[in-house]
Amino acid sequence: MRNQSKYLLLVAVLLAVYYVLCGFYLNHLGYYSQEALFYMEKSNIILHGVGDKLKVMGLTAPILPFYSSFIFSAISFVPPPVIASSVCMAILFFLMASTLFKRSNDIFYIFILLIIFLLHPGMLYAATSGKSIGLVLVFFFLFFFNLLKFYRSNTTFHVSIASICLVILIFCDYKFIWLTLFFIPLVLSITVKSLNLGEQESIFRLHQSFNNPSLRRKLINKTFALYIILFILPIACIICYKLLNLTHAQDLEYFNESPYATWTVLADKLSFDSLSTSSVYQIPEISVLLSLKMIVFCPLILVAIFLFRDSTYQILTLLTPFALIEFLHIKYDKVFLPQEFYLMFVVLALLCILYRAQIVKRQGILKLVVGVLTLVQLVTGYIFLKNSSVSEERNFISMIESRAPDTRQDENRALAKYLNNLPKDSHVLIDDAIAYPVVAFTGNVRKLTLPYQEGIFLSAIEAPDKYDNYILLATDKNEVTGFTQLNDKYIPIITRANGGLKFRRVYETDDWVLYKIF
Amino acid sequence: MINAGYPFREAVREQEYDPEVLSKIELKFAEQHAALPLRIENGRVVTLMADPSNQLFIDFVRFTYDREPEIIVASDLDIVWMSHKLLGDKYVKSAVYELLNRDPANSAFITFSSGQLIFMFVLLAVVVIGLVTSFKNTSIIINILISVFFLVAILFKMFLALVGSRFELHQAVTRDEVKDLKPDDLPIYTILLPVYREDKLIKKLIWNLQSLDYPREMLDIKLIIEEDDDKTMNAVRNLDFPAIFEVVVVPFHMPKTKPKACNYALHFSRGKYLTIYDAEDIPDTDQLKKVVALFAKLPSNYTCVQCALNYFNRNENFLTRMFTLEYSYWFDYMLPGLDTLDIPIPLGGTSNHFKLDNLVELGAWDPFNVTEDADLGVRAYAKGYKIAIVNSTTFEEANNEPFNWIRQRSRWIKGYMQTYLVHMRNPLALLRKVGWRGFLGFNFFIGATPLTFLVYPFLLGIFVCYLVFDLSTIRTLFPDWVLFMSIFNLMVGNILMIYINMMAVFKRRFYELILFSIANPVYWLMHSVAAFKGLYQLIVKPFYWEKTEHGLSKVNSPTNVVK
Repeated sequence: MRNQSKYLLLVAVLLAVYYVLCGFYLNHLGYYSQEALFYMEKSNIILHGVGDKLKVMGLTAPILPFYSSFIFSAISFVPPPVIASSVCMAILFFLMASTLFKRSNDIFYIFILLIIFLLHPGMLYAATSGKSIGLVLVFFFLFFFNLLKFYRSNTTFHVSIASICLVILIFCDYKFIWLTLFFIPLVLSITVKSLNLGEQESIFRLHQSFNNPSLRRKLINKTFALYIILFILPIACIICYKLLNLTHAQDLEYFNESPYATWTVLADKLSFDSLSTSSVYQIPEISVLLSLKMIVFCPLILVAIFLFRDSTYQILTLLTPFALIEFLHIKYDKVFLPQEFYLMFVVLALLCILYRAQIVKRQGILKLVVGVLTLVQLVTGYIFLKNSSVSEERNFISMIESRAPDTRQDENRALAKYLNNLPKDSHVLIDDAIAYPVVAFTGNVRKLTLPYQEGIFLSAIEAPDKYDNYILLATDKNEVTGFTQLNDKYIPIITRANGGLKFRRVYETDDWVLYKIF
Repeated sequence: MINAGYPFREAVREQEYDPEVLSKIELKFAEQHAALPLRIENGRVVTLMADPSNQLFIDFVRFTYDREPEIIVASDLDIVWMSHKLLGDKYVKSAVYELLNRDPANSAFITFSSGQLIFMFVLLAVVVIGLVTSFKNTSIIINILISVFFLVAILFKMFLALVGSRFELHQAVTRDEVKDLKPDDLPIYTILLPVYREDKLIKKLIWNLQSLDYPREMLDIKLIIEEDDDKTMNAVRNLDFPAIFEVVVVPFHMPKTKPKACNYALHFSRGKYLTIYDAEDIPDTDQLKKVVALFAKLPSNYTCVQCALNYFNRNENFLTRMFTLEYSYWFDYMLPGLDTLDIPIPLGGTSNHFKLDNLVELGAWDPFNVTEDADLGVRAYAKGYKIAIVNSTTFEEANNEPFNWIRQRSRWIKGYMQTYLVHMRNPLALLRKVGWRGFLGFNFFIGATPLTFLVYPFLLGIFVCYLVFDLSTIRTLFPDWVLFMSIFNLMVGNILMIYINMMAVFKRRFYELILFSIANPVYWLMHSVAAFKGLYQLIVKPFYWEKTEHGLSKVNSPTNVVK
């Protein structure tokens, strides 16, 4: 067993190296995800910034992916978020493979795991894009894994570990808070199942429990207790986090709605623009079809459902992610579902297969089905990513296919290079609500006057000549120009207020104009 | 007997005695025969006897004193009382001073060592100088230290609880293993029942112990009664007392503590294994057999087995509910967690089962320590012995009266302080003995417990002032990052502790108690009151044993059944 663990650890390390190399190659071609750039910028501020960095440190969201990226800040040859995501995916592989080894020694499933982790385009995207998908998948896996273990053992340990994993999952992506919603009927089902009754059929068990005062009291107490054990931690943690937001940013939803705190605000805006300006209506993005889309993307989930067919509440557990994506689609109707919500089905399907495959008598047929569906899944993974509604995901595939350099960040990098070459004592006023890619590429943030330096930044906007020598403004072509005061409307307003101010363009790109202030 | 011509005296305690006569008889012999020669009067030896036909003892008197006995028939209880009072001096001295003479470093006879006093006053001086010279920076440092300490302690407890909860399905001893035990192979088992003014509970106690599934002839039950405890003595006298129970009367000697009484009774114990129950305890009926089975399985260095404790009157009022939450968490998660990680276990007050030989070798309980059980756990660990946890529960009566609760808790917290001070007289020596893991465990459990309760009301007070009154002084005193960290610690700490309590009652299937965990911050304030009382007593009367009143519950205790 110990040798197997060592062997798996070695494979996981090699996998991490493989991901980092892929990330390095993509990075070399110029590929950066918005999320990775956001984390890089915030890390830059924490490490090299001057002023009160507490808010950046505590309220940047999602907080755990940011911290996981921050850990690798000392490494510079690959962007730290890419290393973090690579390591997370390797950890996910290790967890899944070791789970498999604990349950059976079948090398076939390890092989399947390796194929998926090495070749599945979605997995590669998760590992090399520097996004939080890897971390989300790790805790999504652990959450469901512990739930399945709880169903089997009925121990507090597993349900509390599941609860802790849910907390971490929510702090990796706040949208997972809605997962709790779909566990409400499920918990009742679990409790009914756990009551000591002669009747086996769930509906009759429920009938029996409701019609007997003693059983009814027990059912209600246990259901309520299970809710509390499972959800009190996530709810309490979210309340505390919101209170911290309130005390330090005067806004309960700061972490979720401010472009200074999270990259998703701008990403959602771009997604909304893309959806509302698109001439072709996205049929696969409508409700119900979305679930079917997931099944096509991950046909292995059907095998998972087949393996748990005997147990109503376990089937219901597997269906909760479907309910979640349908709900997210309704709640965030102008936002496309990102890849992590697709990949969670892959992880869930693999978990169920690892957990239950050994109970199937006809292993040959099962392996054949799993093998074929894995290959199908690789193809559908590729097709879905290639035709994704999220531009970053599409770009990822097109870059891999063409291997041509990605020029989307060239302007930002060139601008950052120019800023780096400014005289040492010069100061530049920048609003990183939208200019975070520029700040991420800038080596010396001490030159920059940024919003985290609250007092100075606000004063500098009012009287830029007193604090800064340069000011970076967004052009009207910039897609997110509405999220900052420092845009093309700024100069007419400030010159009206202060006629003595003079600005001269010193550097210009499609999205930005850098002015020197006199 | 009166008809047979023997005078029967009820007031035997007023009988005169001659030390010269008493010096020729050994206590154990007198106790065994329920007979005691008192004095020589009219050329005859005045002898108290419960059974005047006991020819062996009559011959002993004739042979020893060379005179005929003048027999006075008395109740065996009175004779036992007289025997222990008049002959028990050397045993009671041994009970009090044995550990102090043999291993003074581990005795709580001295509360504060010189080194500790110097350290405390130097620390106090440094803090005062710091506050005078730089009030703000010193306050920040103190705040950070306390807040980090709190968080680490709570995370550690959370980790332990998770480790402990992992083994909740683990059965240290299974039913089959209990069934497989052959009655003939069972050793003599001593049960110590130290009671003081428990006249209301004595009947129930005897009833509960009679339900134990263990051969009667192999039980050696000692009902330990203090010399001045007439209430219990009379209650015992009025009972139809089963023969397996034996009364041991502890002669008066300070300190008047439970460990002293147990040490005294140890001299008369015959068992291979020994356990202690309190007056209100209801042990699982198969508990003794489980312990025997577990000792048989464990390596020889396991010297003690601790059972879980819980309460039968949990739903009586708020206090009993909170107490049940606390005990469920402590005995079901923390102790198994400590056990798994091989960290010294602070033993619970009752239902700890010892190997008698090892217990004697360890110097038994420290009579000067008011939580002698926790101290013994650490001492045993330091000497290389191990403690195991068994899947058996003893149900007790939860304290349902706030002042009574505070008295009991103040004693426990004072005892923890005593234990901490005793073992930290030489921290390096302790580190060498118990290793890093044991040392940290000891500091976080025994040391941190009183400290957190002492500091808690101050932290809560500052937080409430900050939150409710938005005091600008606090904001100016502590920079934002310190406040951020402190509030984070306070919130996370409280949530985690509440959650651990919830987990514990969830495991016990006490679902109706789960929401009461939220009231823990209020319950901890009661701990703080007790902690300050304990601290005060530690300084002014360290060996004083705060007596907990039992039998206040109006809930009928269930008869013990095998779970």
